[in-house]
Amino acid sequence: MTKKKSEAANEDQTRDTKKKSVSAVKSSQKEKPVLAKQVKSSKEEEDLLLDSATDSDYDGDSLSGSLNSDDFDSDVFDSEDDASQKETEGGDKDSSEDELELHGNEDSDDDDEGEQVDSENDEEDGSDEEREVAEESDSSEDEVAPRNTVGDVPLEWYKDEKHIGYDITGKKITKKEKQDKLDSFLANMDDSKNWRKIYDEYNDEEVELTKEESKLIRRMLKGEAPHADFDPYAPYVDWFKWDDAIHPLSSAPEPKRRFIPSKWEAKKVVKYVRAIRKGLIKFDKPEEEPNVYLLWGDDSASDQKSKHLTYIPPPKLKLPGHEESYNPSLEYIPTEEEKAAYELMYEEDRPKFIPKRFTSLRSIPAYENALKESFDRCLDLYLCPRVRKKRVGAHSIINIDPESLKPKLPSRKDLRPYPNSCYLEYKGHTGAVTSVSPDCSGQWIASGSADGSVRIWEVETGRCLKVWQFKEAVKCVAWNPLPDFPILAVAIGQDLVILNTELGTDEEQQKIEELLRLGTLPEQDEAVAAIVSWLPDETYGGIKIKHFKNISYVDWHPRGDYLSAVMSAGETRGVVIHQLSMHKTQRLPIKMRGLPVCTLFHPTHRGMFIIATKKNVRVFNLQKRELAIKKLETGLREISSMAIHPGGDNLIVGSKEGKMCWFDMDLSSKPYKTLKNHPKDITNVAFHRSYPLFASCSEDSTAYVFHGKVYSDLNENPLIVPLEILRGHSTSSNRGVLDCKFHPRQPWLFTAGADSVIKLYCH
Amino acid sequence: MDGEGEDGSKVIHVKFVTKLYPPFKAPVSSVVIPSNVTRLGLSSIVNSLLTLEKPEAFDFLIDGELIRMSLEQFLLAKGISAERTLEIEYIRAVAPRKEEKPSLHDDWVSAVDGSSPRFILTGCYDGLGRIWSSPGSCTHILEGHTGAISSVAFVNSQGGESVTVATASKDRTLRLFKVDTAESGDSTTRVRAYKILRGHKASVQSVVAEKHGNMVCSSSWDCTINLWNTDESESELSGEAVTTFIGHTQCVSSVVWPEEDVIYSCSWDHSVRRWDVPTGKDTLNLYCGKALNTVDVGGEGSALVAGGGSDPVLRVWDPRKPGTSAPVFQFSSHSSWISACKWHESSWFHLLSASYDGKIMLWDLRTAWPLSVIDTHKDKVLCADWWKGDSVVSGGADSNLRISSGISIS
Repeated sequence: MTKKKSEAANEDQTRDTKKKSVSAVKSSQKEKPVLAKQVKSSKEEEDLLLDSATDSDYDGDSLSGSLNSDDFDSDVFDSEDDASQKETEGGDKDSSEDELELHGNEDSDDDDEGEQVDSENDEEDGSDEEREVAEESDSSEDEVAPRNTVGDVPLEWYKDEKHIGYDITGKKITKKEKQDKLDSFLANMDDSKNWRKIYDEYNDEEVELTKEESKLIRRMLKGEAPHADFDPYAPYVDWFKWDDAIHPLSSAPEPKRRFIPSKWEAKKVVKYVRAIRKGLIKFDKPEEEPNVYLLWGDDSASDQKSKHLTYIPPPKLKLPGHEESYNPSLEYIPTEEEKAAYELMYEEDRPKFIPKRFTSLRSIPAYENALKESFDRCLDLYLCPRVRKKRVGAHSIINIDPESLKPKLPSRKDLRPYPNSCYLEYKGHTGAVTSVSPDCSGQWIASGSADGSVRIWEVETGRCLKVWQFKEAVKCVAWNPLPDFPILAVAIGQDLVILNTELGTDEEQQKIEELLRLGTLPEQDEAVAAIVSWLPDETYGGIKIKHFKNISYVDWHPRGDYLSAVMSAGETRGVVIHQLSMHKTQRLPIKMRGLPVCTLFHPTHRGMFIIATKKNVRVFNLQKRELAIKKLETGLREISSMAIHPGGDNLIVGSKEGKMCWFDMDLSSKPYKTLKNHPKDITNVAFHRSYPLFASCSEDSTAYVFHGKVYSDLNENPLIVPLEILRGHSTSSNRGVLDCKFHPRQPWLFTAGADSVIKLYCH
Repeated sequence: MDGEGEDGSKVIHVKFVTKLYPPFKAPVSSVVIPSNVTRLGLSSIVNSLLTLEKPEAFDFLIDGELIRMSLEQFLLAKGISAERTLEIEYIRAVAPRKEEKPSLHDDWVSAVDGSSPRFILTGCYDGLGRIWSSPGSCTHILEGHTGAISSVAFVNSQGGESVTVATASKDRTLRLFKVDTAESGDSTTRVRAYKILRGHKASVQSVVAEKHGNMVCSSSWDCTINLWNTDESESELSGEAVTTFIGHTQCVSSVVWPEEDVIYSCSWDHSVRRWDVPTGKDTLNLYCGKALNTVDVGGEGSALVAGGGSDPVLRVWDPRKPGTSAPVFQFSSHSSWISACKWHESSWFHLLSASYDGKIMLWDLRTAWPLSVIDTHKDKVLCADWWKGDSVVSGGADSNLRISSGISIS
């Protein structure tokens, strides 16, 4: 900016004036400038002053400052702000200097001329000085007191007066004497500067314009900015730092147009109003009534119905065609031969509707199947499973990976140990081994064979320890569950033989011998005596209990005293329970339907007795003599075997169609799981006493081992995992594995084959 | 160094060294051999170097490992450079060189003890114990048991004139016999027990004697281990157990008594335990995962435990290894249950195992393959033992006691 320069100039000027006026400082206050003579000289001085001012661009600068402040505009406001700030600062300094100068000036005036100064001149002088001061501040110009205070009155009113108006003190300002026209003309002609002189009527004086002022006027006439230094195209300096501001902050005042109604909107409204008046825009168009409707009702997607989750839309019927008409064209009517052919067809294959022709609507008979169909419909409603079918696969709506639906079964490795390989075979039988039974310690195993022999083997080495030979095929062997009571129950034909294995200690032997000695037999019930008789066994020194029918299955009570025998007879005679210590036999107190297949004593609940007939499994409480407390619906064709989990709540049932059912007896009377593994009859199923294992063996010469974990948490379902298929037995005379039993302490499985071999599968 | 042989195969410079004595000591000089030779080829090379009258089979060790494949493969597998002169140590092959005449029993031979160099003691399923002085010649028959004998042990074989033996039987008793060895002749002497040890409630499975012969230890199906005194008291014929170790939950199938106050036992409850004899506490419990039939202690510092059971794997544990019960060696060449395993009494590396597949295998800890397989038995092998340090005696379900001799273990 030019500010600096102007300041420097200012200082120069002040220096000059100071030089002039150093000498007389003191007299300025005392002297009274009153003389009118001195006007001229003071005028000259003024000129000089003015000239000096024109030399420097001091005046211009002050003007520009005032102009700027006048032209104060929102557009340039920004750039002006700090500049004006500086200006005022500088101004303050200047003004203080000016004060000094003022005094100096006054003094110099007096000093130089040495004359009294006219009050007017003094005033003028003061006004000049004031102008100088005013140049610094923007508003000071207004404060210049009018020399003529007559006010805004037509000057004609003073035409005839001597004075033209009044000064600030109320004194009359006298008119100057009028010059002659000629004189003035001559003066004008003489003075080259005369064209710049303007007569100020109001103050009655001539004002001579300076060069700068004339230039300023010229620029104004051109329509430019009055000050020469003003740059209308100054580079734009943004007043706001946008860089790291978060909010769009603007201190610009709300423009006025925001508060006044929009003209454009008014125009638009007018346009709409006209359109409405003319009828180009219409409101409230009446909705058209659809003149077509579904004859059979809207059954596709009724909102009301489909809101319910369980709503199943009925299947859509085919719409009736021409042939369903009461009077169809002749080509729809089947010929006589076709009708005869329809008659020969099966009802399922026959077309549902055979077109008929009636001459008139009146002659149509009532629908013959109306009653039947309404009945069927009712049946449908009654039997319809209210479950939405979710089809799985590529064509289904819901795309589920079928693999993901497979149950997540634990890996077989984690379920070890389980029997998987056969290392030991027990060979010696000459016929199919029908039954095996390990003793409770796991040291021995007894087996019965179709060749009529019962053998005891040493599990560890496969050595046959004892052989008993009978005349008939052995059906079943069962080792007494008590560890200190090593006796065997063997079912041979109609006889149930209790054998002493002579494996216990001497004391145990004594007890056994005592037990097996039949003294005077207690009185049996008549009904019992008719079907069972207790006899001593001559050949092997045990007890022989003769039954009226062939015994198929023998089972010991876990306490080792009671023994149940199953015969193929109905009602109360199919199952008898012998009490060894009393040498007594009881019939089942309950009548039973169907032929019993096998029985089980509940492992934990004393009185509970489970009987499997060919179709069902029933649980009885022997102590209460009631009807079955539970009936398990197997859904199997023919049950062949069953086994109970040592916990007592889970039961597996094997059937002759190769299916095995797992029952959770607490949960339901229906099978929890049905496993279909064997292609042929299951001959036996078994649970392990301590490991979570169960097995099934079948006529297809294989045995399956499963992991069957029962959780103590009742909410958790048993975990069933197939583990291993045990092969190795060969089929002889169409029979495979006839029996399987777990080792009581090791995770090993004994299988008895029709190939007269017993195998031990170890982990 | 590494050149091409005549037939295109690589050759290696080797030096044969041995710890064997002169007839088998080869001259220490570098030999160039083709790299594709196997153990047989190496053996024939050594034989040709030795110029023996009778060819001898050798086994070869490189860096303490037995060669069981061609030399080239072995070097590749072990990452041994073939460019320097290889030092191959050879030992006489551990294999029976002679099969002695079988000694026929009346029934299955269930137990054998070869700890005495003078005799072989066997137990049989007919309830009789037998003492054999040489293959085929039975000198004594120990009678009295009413059930099959399951285990036999020399209690005191050092005594000059009489030898004490103990037998364990499935009739729940143990019997102690004193056998007068001075008697000699063709006829066999029948000996009756001087002491019957009763106390087990079920079949006794195993009996073992203490070093000095003062006590015997027995294990049984009733899950207990009993210690008995062997001293002869005039007054009573039957003895009672001194102490009972209770801890196993199933049949204790085998016990060994390697040191005076340490007894090792194995059981069908899948564990091997070490018992401290004075206190009767078990100080070690190794879990195996399988029912165990047999256990023996030996090897390096007599500290390794070898055991076998209801699977075809012979396992060797190192109880000194802290924090783990994983076996340090597993030998699985058998195909059925292992019925017996014994460490060689002088070697740290050799042990034998007998299995129900009818085979006896000799093992070296330095290789995973059996050194040799003896399959003279026609049925299950039920028992086996070392005899005199160079023979293997074994009995089985073919009612024979078989002796394979001439096994050279240096």
